[in-house]
Amino acid sequence: MRRSWRPERVAIVAVLLLTQGVTSRVEYDVTVVASYGGDRRVLATGRVSGPQETGLRLALHTDSADVAALFGVEHPAESTFTLVGDFFTERQLARSRRGLPLIEQDSYQRAMPLKWGTRARIFPLGVPRPNVVDSLWVEIAVTRSPTGALIKPSESATVVDSSIGMSLEAVVRPRRAVVWLTLIRGDTASPPRRLDLLVDAAARTIELPVGARGRRRLEFALARSEPSPFKRDRVLALDADVVCLRVGEPGGTGPVRSTCGRLNNVARRLPLEGDDTLVATISWPGAR
Amino acid sequence: MEKHTEWQRQIEAEIEGELSLADRAVLARHLASCAHCAGARASHLELRAALASASGDPHARVVPKHDIGRRGVAIAVILALAIGLTGGWLVHRYWSAPGAGSLEGSRAAIVAP
Repeated sequence: MRRSWRPERVAIVAVLLLTQGVTSRVEYDVTVVASYGGDRRVLATGRVSGPQETGLRLALHTDSADVAALFGVEHPAESTFTLVGDFFTERQLARSRRGLPLIEQDSYQRAMPLKWGTRARIFPLGVPRPNVVDSLWVEIAVTRSPTGALIKPSESATVVDSSIGMSLEAVVRPRRAVVWLTLIRGDTASPPRRLDLLVDAAARTIELPVGARGRRRLEFALARSEPSPFKRDRVLALDADVVCLRVGEPGGTGPVRSTCGRLNNVARRLPLEGDDTLVATISWPGAR
Repeated sequence: MEKHTEWQRQIEAEIEGELSLADRAVLARHLASCAHCAGARASHLELRAALASASGDPHARVVPKHDIGRRGVAIAVILALAIGLTGGWLVHRYWSAPGAGSLEGSRAAIVAP
């Protein structure tokens, strides 16, 4: 069957693209390199990609230091951008008289204007002195490519040398999430109901079957979690993908129950007024 | 016995040149009649003579006292300060909190190609 691009179809596609905006995909290509006596050796590699606002959370562990950083893209232009890194480092300096490690903690930000695709070097423990032969650095190349649809973040990492530990995570603050709901009363459970919710948007009211013949109307809303009280968590945005599901009676009558968690497909139980229990599973929305 | 002790103090004062003529006359009269005190005076004088000889002046009339003076005090103060400062620096260098070098030098750096 032959397909033809009729004018109305082209118009619909154009309208959709214009209303959604031209989305782009950002990708971080990471390589951890060590130089021993001038001999370059790759210790680990990895890749993180996602929507334009995706950040890269990098954790590097060596014998004497732990470096965690959150990298992001700021001021994206046609050919350039600014790579911003928020660092949180812990370095073992010495041992106490009781034999316990003395650790120095530091937190700061670095920024560097770069061209898309160029491979920047990041020296996590400072630029080595000229007479120092051994050194460790991280190479990061950030590329951007247009994409026609909203995309999910993805990440992959391979550690070649076990003398270091490395982890990469894509950091994206979700704008919407999929919530699977099941209402339990006694020994009966309602069939799972899928709800697509925007974060920090107005609440939605739906009716769920409960018990043998009953039905219950509830109001659902998604909100971002409160900022963490710990500086390290805030600097590294460890709660970036944590959302809170608020459940209440329609019209704002009665108490509002809340459960918070990551978008990780883990079912959470939330006791409601009466004998009902809501089981909610929050996850990333699929690509569309 | 107590009496001899008092006379020996007088002998020491006489050797130091601190006695008046009247006291020296009284002491001389006692020495003429007391062999014990006369022997003690001789021993004192021999000891002073040995000390004067050891200090390089065998013909001294009295044993020279060690005079430190202002210059010696100044040198001693400077030496004490120098030793204290050096010791403090060494203690700070080797036993104070670890973490030498500048803070910026220890922080991460992004280097463009």
